[in-house]
Formats: sequence, C-alpha cells, structure tokens
Amino acid sequence: MSSQDHHGRGRTGPRIPRPRTLRLVAAGVGALALTAALATPLSPAPQQAAADDGKKVLTVAVAQSIDSLSPFLASRLVSTSILRLTYEFLNNYDAKDAHAVPGLATEWKPSADKLTWTYKIRSDATWSDGKKVTAEDAAWTFNKMMTDPNAATANGSFVGNFRKVTAPSPTELVIELDKPQATMTALDVPIVPKHVWEKVGDFSKFNNDKDFPVVGNGPYILTDYEPDSFVRLEANKEFWRGAPKFDELVFKYYKDGDAAVAALQKGEVSFVSNLTPAQADSLEGQENIEVNDAPGRRFLALAVNPGARAKDGERFGDGHESLLDQRVRQALFLAVDRETLIDKVYQGHAVEGEGYIPPRFSTYYWKPSADQKLAHDPAEAARLLDAAGYKKNGDGKRVGKDGKPITYRVLCHATEPNDKAIGQYLKEWWGDLGIGMDLQCLDNVSDPWLAGTYDLAFDGWSVNPDPDFVLSIHTCAALPATREDTGATDNFICDEKYDDLYDRQLAEYDPAKRAGLVKQAVSRLYDTGYMNVVAYPNAMEAYRTDQIASITTMPEDAGNIFGQDGYWSWWSAVPADSGGSSDGGGSAGVITGVAVGVVLLAGVGGFLAMRRRATAEDRE
Amino acid sequence: MTTEASPPTAQAGPRALAWQRRRRAAARFWRQYHTHRAGLVGLAALALFALVALTAPLTVGSDVAGVTDAPGRPMESPSAEFPLGTDRFGRNLLGLLVWGSRVSLLVGLLAAVLSVVIGALVGITAGHYRGTYATVIMRVTDWFLVMPALVLAIALATVLPRSLGTVILAIGVTSWPTTARLVRAQTLAVESRPYIERAKALGAGHVHIMTRHVLPNVMPLVLAQTTLMVSASILTEATLAFLGLGDPTVVSWGGMLQDAREAGAVSSGDWWYLVPPGIAIAGVALTFTLCGRAVEAVLNPRLGVAR
Repeated sequence: MSSQDHHGRGRTGPRIPRPRTLRLVAAGVGALALTAALATPLSPAPQQAAADDGKKVLTVAVAQSIDSLSPFLASRLVSTSILRLTYEFLNNYDAKDAHAVPGLATEWKPSADKLTWTYKIRSDATWSDGKKVTAEDAAWTFNKMMTDPNAATANGSFVGNFRKVTAPSPTELVIELDKPQATMTALDVPIVPKHVWEKVGDFSKFNNDKDFPVVGNGPYILTDYEPDSFVRLEANKEFWRGAPKFDELVFKYYKDGDAAVAALQKGEVSFVSNLTPAQADSLEGQENIEVNDAPGRRFLALAVNPGARAKDGERFGDGHESLLDQRVRQALFLAVDRETLIDKVYQGHAVEGEGYIPPRFSTYYWKPSADQKLAHDPAEAARLLDAAGYKKNGDGKRVGKDGKPITYRVLCHATEPNDKAIGQYLKEWWGDLGIGMDLQCLDNVSDPWLAGTYDLAFDGWSVNPDPDFVLSIHTCAALPATREDTGATDNFICDEKYDDLYDRQLAEYDPAKRAGLVKQAVSRLYDTGYMNVVAYPNAMEAYRTDQIASITTMPEDAGNIFGQDGYWSWWSAVPADSGGSSDGGGSAGVITGVAVGVVLLAGVGGFLAMRRRATAEDRE
Repeated sequence: MTTEASPPTAQAGPRALAWQRRRRAAARFWRQYHTHRAGLVGLAALALFALVALTAPLTVGSDVAGVTDAPGRPMESPSAEFPLGTDRFGRNLLGLLVWGSRVSLLVGLLAAVLSVVIGALVGITAGHYRGTYATVIMRVTDWFLVMPALVLAIALATVLPRSLGTVILAIGVTSWPTTARLVRAQTLAVESRPYIERAKALGAGHVHIMTRHVLPNVMPLVLAQTTLMVSASILTEATLAFLGLGDPTVVSWGGMLQDAREAGAVSSGDWWYLVPPGIAIAGVALTFTLCGRAVEAVLNPRLGVAR
C-alpha cells in the first residue's frame, strides 16, 4: 500500500481570478497582480494552535487530492496515511527499526509447513460505534478482497496467495496459503468493520465519504471531509494503545507550497511537508520552527513504456518501438548525470538514485557494482544507440526504423516542480545525443498512463519496510486483465526473470535469503532499463515547536514525519503548553511584493491623473 | 483617411495618386500622434523593448536558457556577475529576462493579431450581411463575450498539447468578441453612408464593398484595437504561463514567475526572482496601452471629429 503517487500530488497552482478589466488600469495593475499576489500571504487568520474551546488541534498542510477514502481503493499518499490513522492493521512497524510489532494481532505464528498462519486478535479493541473488534472483521475483510475483484484494487497483491481465511473464535484468525508468503507480518491491509461494510454494494464505486463519523478503530476517527478543502479527524479516546494527545487532527489543503509555508509562519498550520530547498533554507533557524530534513522513503524514477499490454496478450498504447531495445533504454539513462541533478535540482537534499529500493531500507538496499552501473557516460550512450541502429541523420538527429527523427514524449506531473526541472535537463542531455524530447506536463497523467500513450514518464513511489508491494507492481501478474481494466501494474513491465525472482523472494521465509533474492530482483530490474531511479529525495518538512512539543520520526533518529509506515507521528505528537505567539510571518518577499505594488500603483495612478488632464477634451 | 481625398495636384497614375494620399495621411497621423506626450513615451519604450528583444541573440544568446551549462549556483542573490541573481538552475536571471522578452512579445503580438483578425472578420461580415447570419453570429459573439475569457483560455490550454502555438490560439480565440462588436458597429455606420449606396448602384458586389469601402474605414479602429489587445494578450500569456499552462521548456516572463513560485522564492524572500519579470510584464503592457490609446485618439473618427 505504499503510497502511489504517480498520479501526482494535486495542483500546486493557485487560481488567480482576474477578470478582464478596463484597459489602462488593467495594464499596470494586472501585471502587478501577478507580482503582488505571489507575495501576498493568505488572509491573516487567527491563531489556531489551541482553539477557543480548549481543544488541542493539530493542523497539517497537504496538497495531494484524496483519490478515495475507501481502504479498498485508496492508493495515494495522503489517503493511505489517513486510512492508517482510522483503521488498525494486523501488524504495525516499529518506529525505531521497522520490525513487526503488534497491531490488531497480538501474536502470530506459522504452522510447521509455513502454510497456515494463526493470529491472535486483541480483545481490548472496539470500533468507534461501540462494537467489539473481532477476528470475524479481519476474516471478512480478507475474504472480500479474495472474492470481489473490485475490493482488490488497492491491496490485492497481499491476498493473491491466500487459500482460505477463517475466524474460528472472536480472537483467532487463521489464514491458509497456497504457497509460502514472506509478507505475513507485513500485511498492510486496513481491517474494516464487517457490520458496516457488508452493506456496501459496489466496492469500485463506494468511496466511504458520505456517512460521518466513519466507524473505525485507529488512533483517530474520521469525522468530516470536504474534497480539496480539509479532512477532519477526532482523537479516539478508546484507542487501545492509548489516546492521542491532540484532540483533533485536521489535514488542510494548500495547493500552493508557498501559501502553506506562509501559513506555517503565521501559525495557521502546525506542520508542512514537501518543502523546496529554498523554503527549507529560509525556514531553518526561524523562531519556533523546526525543520526536519531526513532521508526519505521515496524514489523518483524515469519509467519506460515497455509496450503497454494486458494479461490477455493484447497490446495497446503507442510507446516508441525503439524503447523495446534494452540498449536504447540504457543509453537514455547513461546520458543522465544524476550527480548534477542532486546538486542543482535538489541542492543536496537527496541521494543519487541507483537501485529500486532507497538506502534507508538497508536490509534490501542494493546498488550496482562498478561495471554494472549505468554511470553518466554520454559517449557510451551514443555508441549504444549507434550499435542499436539508431544513427544520426544529416541534421544530427537520430532516426527511428521508420526513418523519422526520434522524439520521445515524457509524461511529467504539472504539479511536481522537480519533474519539470529534471525534464529540462533531460531535454538538453538527450538533445546532445540527437534525440528529441517533448515534455508533457499534465495535471492528470492517469489517462495517457493507463492507455500506454507515452514513451517515458516520471514515476515515484514510497517504499515500505517490506518491499513486497513495490516489487509486485512490476510483475506480469499485475498487468490489467484486458485493456479496459486497470491493473495494479505500474508501467506494464512483464519480465520472466524478474517474475521468477519475485515469486521466490515472496516464498522465502529466511530473512537473509529473502533479502538476497530481493536484491537479485532489483538488480534484474536495473539491468532491464525499464525503471531508472534518478534520486531518493529527502523528506523535507517543518513544524511549529510552539504548537507541537514533540513528535516521533520514523526511523526515530533520522526519519520522516509525514507519510510514515505507521501512525506514530500523529499518534505520538504532544501539544505544546502555550498556544504560542506568532512571529508575524512577514518575510522579505512579502514586504518587497507589497512595496513594489505600492510603487507601481502610485505610478499608474499618477499617470492616470496626468492622462485624464491631457485627454480632457477627448472625453465626451 | 476618413476625410475626403484632396484633388490631385499633378498629373499622375492612380497608383501614384494613392501613394501620395497615403503619405499625406501618414504625415497627418504623425503630426497628431506626436501631440500626445504619453503616446510618445510609450512609443519610445516600445522601441526599447523591441530593440532588447530583437538583439537578444546578440546580447545574451540562446545559451542563457540552457540548464546543463548554467554558470552559477541555484538561487544566488544579486552580485556583480549576476546583477539580478540566478534562478533555480543557476542561470543568469538578467539574461533570462532579456531572452524571455522574445516569447512574451511574440505571443502577445501574434495572439493580438489572431484575435483582431477573427474579430474584424466577424464584425465586418455581421455588419454587412445583417439578417439571420448577423443575428446568429452576433449571438455567438455574445456567448463568447459573457464567457470568462481566462477560464476558457485555461480550458483550451489544458486540452491542447503544451506549446507556444497553443497559448497563442487559446488567447486569440477567446479575446475577439469585443473587437467584433466594435467593428460591427463601425461597419453599420459606414454602410449607411450614401457612397456605399452609389457603389451598389454601380454594381459593386459584397466582397468589393467589404474590402474596398468598409475595411479601409474600419482599419483605424482595428489598428488601435490591435495595439490595445497586445497588452491584454501579454498579460494573459503571463497568466497562463504562471498557472503552469505554458511550455515549461520555453523561457517567458510568466514562466519565470511560475518557476520562482515553484522553487519557493516567495516564502524565502528571493525578490530578485519575482519582481523583475513582474515589472517587465507591467512595463510592456503599459507601453502598448499608451501607444494604443494615442493611436485611438488620433484615428478614431468619432474622437477625431471632436478635435
């Protein structure tokens, strides 16, 4: 359930309503609106840290839209993070080192042949409507995913191997497997209340966002939601691990990063994630603000369209035929200078991308050896392209087999500044190779993505401590059933060797051996050139220390706060004693913007007056 | 041009006569134009902007937009080497400002021309043919007039592939209704004059009347409208680019503002990234407006008679 976000993280652009106005004034003031609107912060709203009625509210700024609040459909980072807070899983990951710790299950043990797993379900957990949480709820959830394909959209990969799930008693859950499965203590599946969800008809349509409060059993209960406006959660006082210290948790939408930062400076929100290097640098050292810059769990990759296809064998989409050649894919990546990208685009707040799994997950982290590595080498890239038969024509452009110059369409998220920035570098590097590039930045990349009508695409996933999910999305089994369906597949990769390694790691219970197999799978993926990891960006976040006294990062010594593999951060957050005073939040940019605005306005006004005098006789 | 042609002073062919008349009209236009101080200021500033844009390949060169060989560190503050600092790629912002003027001016001009051509075509035909055709086409115009142009342009720019052509098209096809209405009104006024009736009596067809009699008489209006439309188009272009609907690999002023915003220049107070493109957009838009107003004051028959 790692949070997919190749579907983007929502618009970042504010919409500036600017009607067409009177000519002269429009000229000056209109342009001014561009400058000043930029620099003008949001309307100054009152402090919100400690609300008037004494409620301790934790407000988190988010940008990514919610795809669904149904745990059977949601795959984006914000949605899955919220579902983590509202539904307990069987197991959780330890905040320190991510080993499996009790969640809904207090104990678990496999049979001798490792094909039958028995979980003891805790008896001290209750749903927010007062009913007890039983093993029957868990059994129903898994059975639903096994029998209804519409309920398997988000987390189907976990139950692919399940033969039978039963609940012999309210505190005992038994899962029988077809073959061994290594992820049995990392089943990232929200367990839902059977008595509520059995009334749901069509799981592909039900988004769980009509009846509030939503019945849950996590540390917070979902009480209200307005699309692209806010998500409100209330602390679950009955939570078995202990009630959270804040009374209310609000995810508030700021589609513009700078607006979110301004809100943080004003104290309107307590926490902001996804900062740019410039924002992090300017927040660093400001009073009452703590910046968290730690290794992230995400990677950013250049995914290649390997020829979109469905399980029934039908091919669709129109990916460039030259990309079916491994040499071409590797050549494209050889021309990418990752070090420059880390240095310039991320300004050091990222780690150079190599294997598919970020270095933070040291057990499974794999990096290519010196001769396997596709290090920056444009000369070698040109040689590979020549060898593959894509030679330059008279104009210095490489031509495809059809005799036309090659131009790749690269899908990028219009809402991801880094995609665009990296895209500009790629355009120049590939241009030097003689390959054209058309950077298509879209708000919604899903349509061309699912239809396979792209050549390359920017792709990013958050990786869980157990890498099974992110590995599963590149198997042939994840392909859509027919071209009309949506599969779990990321970008239609289907490689026999990789599939074999994937199956073997999933069936391997010995942690060391399994890690070895995962590394081999990652190595294979690297060699195919289908998924070229460019960078592992850091988590760059900031929070107000006068509103949050302490908060748990994951891993504890250097980790992220937003989008954790558990609910530790928001569950553990301790409110600061005082509401805290605002530091005014007037940054230099705001002041400058306003000053320029005033000067320009005065200029335009003065000119208008002059003009009116001059043309007095012209007017009627 | 709206006053009657004075009788020929010397024997000459009709072509030479026409040229003589045009020269005189131009001289008269200029005499009147330069009584408008603001118009002169605008014209001078416009010449300056045009000069900067046209000589950009010589002064800064297209290399300035390249990211791979950017000379500085990202987001440097102004210094002797980079008078306006550097952008998120380490490119020289002053150079980008100069280079960006080309796109902003080009898009502004082409979009304005496209918009005015559509508007004039619709206006003249609607004014000339009247009847059902005019009713239908003017209702279409009204429909476009009440549609918020920016929203329509955003919708167009979203569905079409991202390129300069798209932006020009999006601005052009959403901003023509005002021109159409103005031109239609002028066409109706011109067509009610007796000499049009004379021309018809002599056997002039629709095309002849529209191109030979109506068009020259609405031309001043069209010209003034174009000049004014340029500033609106430049603003719209900047807005679209700022909203991320332009081609991200093309440097334009609106695109620079968008880059600055995405890089977090606002909250980190990097004014040098934000203010220069903003002022440049305001400056160019103002320049065109000043010129347009002056041209309008000189050429608009209504205002001209009053003078």
